[in-house]
Amino acid sequence: MKTCSSMATLWSKISAVLPPGEEQFPLQFSDTVESSLVDVLKRSRRQLYGDAASSSSRAIDAQIILDFSWEKLNTGTWRHVDKEWRRLYAYGCLFKVAALCREGPSADNVPQAVRTCDMGLLMGAAIMDNILQVIVGILQGEVRKSSKEEDDKTEQVEVKRLKIECPRAPVIRGELAVPRVKCPSLESFNTNHLLPLKPVILEGIIDHWPALNGHRWSIEYLRSVAGCRTVPVEVGSRYTDEEWSQTLLTVDEFIDRYILNEDGVTGLGYLAQHQLFDQIPELKEDIRLPDYCCLGEEDEDDITVNAWFGPGGTVSPLHHDPQQNFLAQVVGSKYIRLYSPEDTDKLYPHQSQLLHNTSQVEAENPDTERFPDFAAAPYLECVLRPGDVLFIPVRHWHYVRSLELSFSVSFWWS
Amino acid sequence: MRWFGFGFNAFGQIHVRGRATSAASGDVAAEVKVIGPTEVTGHEGSRRLKTCRIKASWSRRASLHLNGDSCVCLAGFGAATSDESCGVSVVVSRGCTDASIGELHLTLVFPDRIESWDLQKKEETPSWSMELEPQSESSGPPLKLPLVPGGYIATKPPFYRSLSPHLKAKSLALGAEHAILLCATGAVYTWGLGSHGQLGHGGLTSEEEPRAVEALCGMTMSSVATGGWHSVCISDGGDLYVWGWNESGQLGLPSRGLRKALQQQSSQQAAGAACQVADSSPGEEVFISIQAFPALLDVAPSCEIRTVSCGSRHTAAVTTTGDLYTWGWGEYGQLGHQTLISSDEPKCVEFFREQQLHVVDVTCGMWNTFAAVIAEEAASS
Repeated sequence: MKTCSSMATLWSKISAVLPPGEEQFPLQFSDTVESSLVDVLKRSRRQLYGDAASSSSRAIDAQIILDFSWEKLNTGTWRHVDKEWRRLYAYGCLFKVAALCREGPSADNVPQAVRTCDMGLLMGAAIMDNILQVIVGILQGEVRKSSKEEDDKTEQVEVKRLKIECPRAPVIRGELAVPRVKCPSLESFNTNHLLPLKPVILEGIIDHWPALNGHRWSIEYLRSVAGCRTVPVEVGSRYTDEEWSQTLLTVDEFIDRYILNEDGVTGLGYLAQHQLFDQIPELKEDIRLPDYCCLGEEDEDDITVNAWFGPGGTVSPLHHDPQQNFLAQVVGSKYIRLYSPEDTDKLYPHQSQLLHNTSQVEAENPDTERFPDFAAAPYLECVLRPGDVLFIPVRHWHYVRSLELSFSVSFWWS
Repeated sequence: MRWFGFGFNAFGQIHVRGRATSAASGDVAAEVKVIGPTEVTGHEGSRRLKTCRIKASWSRRASLHLNGDSCVCLAGFGAATSDESCGVSVVVSRGCTDASIGELHLTLVFPDRIESWDLQKKEETPSWSMELEPQSESSGPPLKLPLVPGGYIATKPPFYRSLSPHLKAKSLALGAEHAILLCATGAVYTWGLGSHGQLGHGGLTSEEEPRAVEALCGMTMSSVATGGWHSVCISDGGDLYVWGWNESGQLGLPSRGLRKALQQQSSQQAAGAACQVADSSPGEEVFISIQAFPALLDVAPSCEIRTVSCGSRHTAAVTTTGDLYTWGWGEYGQLGHQTLISSDEPKCVEFFREQQLHVVDVTCGMWNTFAAVIAEEAASS
């Protein structure tokens, strides 16, 4: 139960990271932002530092900013949305979080504030030295303090449930197996695999990751580090399905619903292709950039790191990506099949612009009538296990199915 | 004819706000979100101006007084906040025959020219203007904005865009990222971005040029309207067709996003109890988030729709019997049902029935709704 005094401490912690006064609080926008909206922003800023405003007035103005910018974010294609609207959305989140944390001892305010920070981090653009990231860190501290008692009871139940899921892994035939090599030198990786664009599994190169050692990733650990954080989840068997959709859930909700199947939900949920490590810096500390990325031409900062966390049975349909990929397996195992770009003519890519990098064929259950050439396409396959890193060369077709609870980290580099 | 407004009022565009520094929380909420129809005043006083039409943008309302000495009055952001005047009377609008308002511009149509005035900079001259050929007698009824002879006025530059004469444009509505055109033949064309199904051609692809909505071929449509991401049209028989995005129930079809949001709201209110609100799938209900083909919407049993207007995410329709139905996003009170709840089912705005007022017209701003009424006795006479 949140007491008045603990909310007061929370507010003082948050005030401490905000600019000291109105004059130091920046509100600079391009002409894209209409002056009527700037009017609301200025009022929100005034109310942030003044005492006269009521909590509902602060909340209302913050919501106006959020609703207006949300509509802008949904206008046109995401790529073309003016960055100003994303900044504005982040300001709306900031004012809303401030309003939530300032008054009222309601225990629901802190989780709502965390969610609001996450929405700002996911959809907004960084403002004021990424202040939302700073604030969510403060808020997570509060959440952890108040939820310590809950953890112990549920642990045993979870371990029991997970033991049931251990299906037989597919047997990999020798001649089709992706080759494996242990800790190759930079030079030999470059010569034997990167330059000729040949897939390979690198063993032993992530053994030092805290995610596999001191901070071994598990459901309990992920809950403790990120349970209250909101993440995008893909719902449905595969992204080419009509029923497929994306939703936002907290990590706790995702685990309860799609990993532990607590409320009897039957569909698949996959925390896929999400830059989780930008959102939750603590998890970033548990992984390292593979050294071999330095063989690329890009800056380290331009490397896209994605998390892929889900139950057994998640499928990424056969597709290819425009960059080199290191797919590191941390928890659980995945069956992966690879086809060379040379055989694209046998893989029946979709015609549409949206899905032109995706094959129409279900790799493990091909419709031989509609796609007769597919059976003749040569491939390599593997079962990727914790500690393995698969090198998927640029534009190489790949199909992935998780065999059990799985957490992978992908590095897209050039 | 009297006008009533409800919904978003943060800038006093429906009715002037009181001294907003009042700390009482109830006041601010009630002022910003007007949940029940409130009369739009301002044309009492010495000059009896008859408001023929209202247009609304996000932060303003433009009242068009088009009898005799016509002019446009503005209320909302930047307008004077006096109870008696009808807002800033735009001197430059004297003699205009039509007007439309966006967040940045006020567009005025005069017999011989069209002007766009920048509302952010108070300048002496319009930021854009165009001359008009004098309309001959036989050219039919005057075009309504955004249509102008030969084309239409867009919301951002280039303002004037031409339309092929073979389309025989009769009426045009512009959404956030698409356009819908009604032709003299009764056919409907759409173009623009289609990622929310708002073009009605059955897919999510965009169209650069006007393309006929084939699903409506063979039917004669009599009016069209757009919301931010949805399209609506009325057939000459009074049927309503909807298509586009339904994330807030603006199509009047079951909306999953809406049900989820309502569940979340009610579970937040019951925060004390440890109830888990599971993701319920009530029976076999089919939810529609995007409707890519026109769908016939049954607004109310055996009623004909007279006119319709849309806000960014809500829809308001007037029946021939004088009722107003609203549905869609309602979090600013723009549905007029005395709540802040969104709805994916058309509901009658009971206020007008209770007051024995006969609704004859409706126009929506982005987050609010304005209805024109006459007394019921006048309606039946």
